[in-house]
Amino acid sequence: MSKKEAYDMFEMDGEMSKKKKKKMKKKEKLEGMKKEMDIDDHEITIEELEMRYNTSVTKGLTTNFANQILERDGPNELKPPKGTPEYVKFARQLAGGLQCLMWVAAVICFIAFGIELGRGNLTSFDDLYLAITLIAVVVVTGCFGYYQEFKSTNIIASFKNLVPQQAMVIRDGQKNQINANQLVVGDLVEMKGGDRVPADIRIITAQGCKVDNSSLTGESEPQTRSPECTHESPLETRNIAFFSTMCLEGVATGVIINTGDHTIIGRIASLASGVGNEKTPIAIEIEHFVDIIAGLAIFFGFTFFVVAMFIGYAFLEAMIFFMAIVVAYVPEGLLATVTVCLSLTAKRLARKNCVVKNLEAVETLGSTSVICSDKTGTLTQNRMTVAHLWFDNQIHAADTTEDQSGQSFDQSSETWRSLGRVAALCNRAIFRPDQEGVPIPKRLVVGDASETALLKFTELTIGNIVDYRNRFRKVVEVPFNSTNKFQLSVHELEDPLDLRYLLVMKGAPERILERCSTILIKGQELPLDEQWKEAFQTAYMDLGGLGERVLGFCHLYLNEKEFPRGYQFDTDEMNFTTSGLCFAGLISMIDPPRATVPDAVMKCRTAGIRVIMVTGDHPITARAIAANVGIISEGSETVEDIAQRKRIPVEQVNKSDARACVISGGQLKEMSSEELDDALRNHPEMVFARTSPQQKLIIVESCQRLGSIVAVTGDGVNDSPALKKADIGIAMGIAGSDAAKNAADMILLDDNFASIVTGVEQGRLIFDNLKKSIAYTLTKNIPELTPYLIYITVSVPLPLGCITILFIELATDIFPSVSLAYEKAESDIMHLKPRNPRRDRLVNEALAVYSYFQIGAIQSFAGFTDYFTAMAQEGWFPLLCVGLRSQWENVHLQDLQDSYGQEWTFSQRLYQEYTCYTVFFVSIEICQIADVLIRKTRRLSVFQQGFFRNRVLVSAIVFQLCLGNLLCYCPGMPNIFNFMPIRVQWWFVPLPYGILIFVYDEIRKLGVRRHPGSWWDQELYY
Amino acid sequence: MATLKEKRTCGQRCEDFGHFVWNSDNGTFMGRTPEKWVYISLYYVAFYVVMTALFSLAIWVLMHTLSPYTPDYQDRLQSPGVMVWPDTYGGEVIEITYNTSDKASWMKMSNILHAFLKPYNETKQFECNFYNCTKGKYFIQKTFSAPHHTKWSCPFTQSMLGECSGLEDPSFGYNGTRPCVVIKMNRIIHFLPSDHVDLPPYVNCTILDGQENVARMDYFPNSGVMDLSYFPYYGKLAQPSYVNPLVAIRFSLVREKQAKIQCRVVSDKISYENYYDPYEGKVIFNLKALK
Repeated sequence: MSKKEAYDMFEMDGEMSKKKKKKMKKKEKLEGMKKEMDIDDHEITIEELEMRYNTSVTKGLTTNFANQILERDGPNELKPPKGTPEYVKFARQLAGGLQCLMWVAAVICFIAFGIELGRGNLTSFDDLYLAITLIAVVVVTGCFGYYQEFKSTNIIASFKNLVPQQAMVIRDGQKNQINANQLVVGDLVEMKGGDRVPADIRIITAQGCKVDNSSLTGESEPQTRSPECTHESPLETRNIAFFSTMCLEGVATGVIINTGDHTIIGRIASLASGVGNEKTPIAIEIEHFVDIIAGLAIFFGFTFFVVAMFIGYAFLEAMIFFMAIVVAYVPEGLLATVTVCLSLTAKRLARKNCVVKNLEAVETLGSTSVICSDKTGTLTQNRMTVAHLWFDNQIHAADTTEDQSGQSFDQSSETWRSLGRVAALCNRAIFRPDQEGVPIPKRLVVGDASETALLKFTELTIGNIVDYRNRFRKVVEVPFNSTNKFQLSVHELEDPLDLRYLLVMKGAPERILERCSTILIKGQELPLDEQWKEAFQTAYMDLGGLGERVLGFCHLYLNEKEFPRGYQFDTDEMNFTTSGLCFAGLISMIDPPRATVPDAVMKCRTAGIRVIMVTGDHPITARAIAANVGIISEGSETVEDIAQRKRIPVEQVNKSDARACVISGGQLKEMSSEELDDALRNHPEMVFARTSPQQKLIIVESCQRLGSIVAVTGDGVNDSPALKKADIGIAMGIAGSDAAKNAADMILLDDNFASIVTGVEQGRLIFDNLKKSIAYTLTKNIPELTPYLIYITVSVPLPLGCITILFIELATDIFPSVSLAYEKAESDIMHLKPRNPRRDRLVNEALAVYSYFQIGAIQSFAGFTDYFTAMAQEGWFPLLCVGLRSQWENVHLQDLQDSYGQEWTFSQRLYQEYTCYTVFFVSIEICQIADVLIRKTRRLSVFQQGFFRNRVLVSAIVFQLCLGNLLCYCPGMPNIFNFMPIRVQWWFVPLPYGILIFVYDEIRKLGVRRHPGSWWDQELYY
Repeated sequence: MATLKEKRTCGQRCEDFGHFVWNSDNGTFMGRTPEKWVYISLYYVAFYVVMTALFSLAIWVLMHTLSPYTPDYQDRLQSPGVMVWPDTYGGEVIEITYNTSDKASWMKMSNILHAFLKPYNETKQFECNFYNCTKGKYFIQKTFSAPHHTKWSCPFTQSMLGECSGLEDPSFGYNGTRPCVVIKMNRIIHFLPSDHVDLPPYVNCTILDGQENVARMDYFPNSGVMDLSYFPYYGKLAQPSYVNPLVAIRFSLVREKQAKIQCRVVSDKISYENYYDPYEGKVIFNLKALK
């Protein structure tokens, strides 16, 4: 990351904050941040440094002074990002759109109760109960949501490494091992290979010290650290090691210049919190839907309020009607249903190694249309592996599979034995001890990536390398350095009688070739003539073209006379032959793709999802891996490829001809955002190589500008802004840093790209199933609403009470609507395009209209049929019921005559009304059973889907029936919840309507299947 | 998501809405072309016509299964309700409060009773119910032997209430301290109040509060009996001229002239202890005479 880019990033953030209109505060903070970036600790001399921090580069700080500074600066650790206070989180759960509507309804209930109470009417405790129930519903669903959120936060917390990091510090001239969080500015620390850098450190002395800055800058190559200042930018210079990076090898001492949140990494981490949280598509969908519901509820309520006033009801009665309509119309159980459906999927995903932090992210994954994936670790195995060998003028492929299940090459050649020997001996990497039981590819190794690869490779092909190396005792060695570009060692031979020394060498192939005069072919040493050199070049190009890192190997038996036993080899003087060697072969290595990835990428393609690779690696490697896993498909060409094929300059190539495109970070920096948009539009297959993580953010934004829903994978701290910006950020569970995990919506526990595809599948399934659930939930709002409308307009005795409605919404219908989440996909959802968030809404017009005005209407008719049946059979004929309301509800009328002339007291009429509530309830239940059956599918026939395949749904229906029976026939219900034990035949009155619903929907589905795109399909498919 | 989140001004929203109402590009009005609107409207008209037809059919079938004479079920009418007249309420409870010195006040009470007793008018009763009933036993009728294919009803005339008939004293005693109240038991089809033929239901009033204020109670007809010949009731269609038997009670108020009274119809098949229905088998009222 160059300094300029770093600034770009900050500036970009500045723009964003402008949009958010928190201008002043944010800007000041950013200004401060920029200023602090101007570190000059690396430019001043060591003496000045000692002065500045009151320290000594030999003795370190005094303990007292260190404690004072610790008190001033606080512990050396990253403060966790300021979370929202718990009560705010909880309050947020209580203040959603639907919840607000329910608060309003509850308040109306309270007012109504208050007024009734004021009038001295003590009978209507119903309003109070209703208000309390409504509030309970809001609070309980709120608690549920809060618990979900709380639980996922805990999962994240458990990822944090609980073992405190230790650091070697020199204080008062003495070495101490202390907890890294006790370190302060000015402390003199020592670090060695394998340590995590405990703070930002100015290097004082170093020996072969290399650090892995990949989590900070994305550079995957180890970076050398030395005391000299090599660059004015603190990020580029070699004499600063950064907090939380890894020291790979060597030793170094240095003075701490920044601790905790003041470190570079701390500042980037705090930057991530500056990128706003994006709303998830499902949140937008639900908001959109709640707006409509709330609007309609208020519209209906208000209309009937006016109608009621017009008809001549009292104001208070009209208010109660308004409240009742709101209660009837608002789907109270919907929030719980959606939350439960999403958490079920989240659970299912967790079993498949995706931990979902943000519940709504589950669905987002389903609507994802672009995945920006990291290469290393996600697409690949994140370990260098020997992929190819070139010897005997032939390229041999090695086994790169994770479990060594692939085919090996022919090992019979004599040349291979020599090549293998060089590879085994000229290698400083060793296995960590005590790993006998671990399979070789999984063992931990001390050494750099390519040496590790060679060590594992030789261990696999030759056998025990420790043993092997012991047989060839090492006399001297020259480690790899960037000027020589080779590594050599001299060994005694295995045969004690052979007193020659063996010199083995490996390094950059062209450098190795320069030093060779012969080449080993089939065990024969042949002179290295032009023909062989050409063969070498071809092989080198071929392997390089595959994006592999190629090393050359050669050896030489040193002349026994010139170099007798005991000869003093001097590595500085190089007092031995290093030319005229015998070339043994080439070995190339690559970080191979994970076995499951090509398949997963293919699945993404069929699912209409673009996979864009964004990597810090070299373009050629990136391209090779992209081609390997199918991100660049077979036969796709880049502009450069076409130019080469047609032998025309790159400028003349029609850009739209090229499907694939590889853009490097350098090119990206030159591009305007429009150009980037164009590139993303024109080339379906994109690979970004050598990109800095900040450019990842730019790429994500560009994709979002094009209307895509973007998933981003990342592991480093520096990925966190991109993870936050993405519609769904996916962090790696193994390789990921805490900052990345914090910023992400989802965590892949196995770091495997294939898990994302599973997530996509589940996400799409849940979208479909949520649609079904919502359709099911919405339908019953009409049969809940119409009783009130008829009651108000025609003045029949009330057919359905508010408490009963709440029982339908919150008790009997919850389980069936949740059970729809277990429904299997109707078709291969991974063969469809991702949904268009602007067009394919969760709740569309067709769904609402079909549910409300067709199925809901049939249910209402069923309810009224049952209502009139129950009334008529008890003595109240339908025509008498019309206009009966005022007499029926007159508390002072104890001898109201029914159609047969019998006289009823008020209480008798009241219990008859409860009977009506119950039969209406039962009708809705019976129709809802038909409804849940039809909602199993949207297009297929239920017979094709299978009636009993969804066991949960079947048990939900049984549960619903049992609960219905319990409510009806449990003693005491009439006076507690207004349920009456009704006659058994009234359960069967709505049955024909249930069958009608089922048959009607089957006809609808048949039409939709038979005539896709027809008028029928357009109007009736949801 | 940038595309979805863009903040739009009110003007743009209105414009969008206008575009939704009438989109000239593809000639759609509110999201559909006029032609499509016609189709969808026709579809819904057809749908609702069919549904209404089905519903009407269901109700028609229902009505055909019902007997015009007796209801299928009488689940709520296990025991008849009882009510008192004058039925004046003060809030939750019946308050029969009158002022002897205020003519308007007591006239209100006597008017209620006069109106209530209108169907029991002598001439009216003998016009409609001229069947000579045998007193003291249930008047069970298997056939429709009365004119117009109906059943006979026994007459109950105002005069049977004796002193409380309002014939001799049109004020029903409300101009003094001896007010009459009339107790009526609700009628229920086929309801027989007692299994024992020799024990007809009778009204029994007890003073719950202010015993010392009631000197005596006189029941009309004698001992407050409801004669068995008025039972069972066969319904509006079978007995169009049926009238409920009544019992009147004359209270003699003394001292504070107020009392809380419970009048219960006593019979073995009439329950009166239903907590949830205070009017089942009994009625409780406050009687108060002011000066």
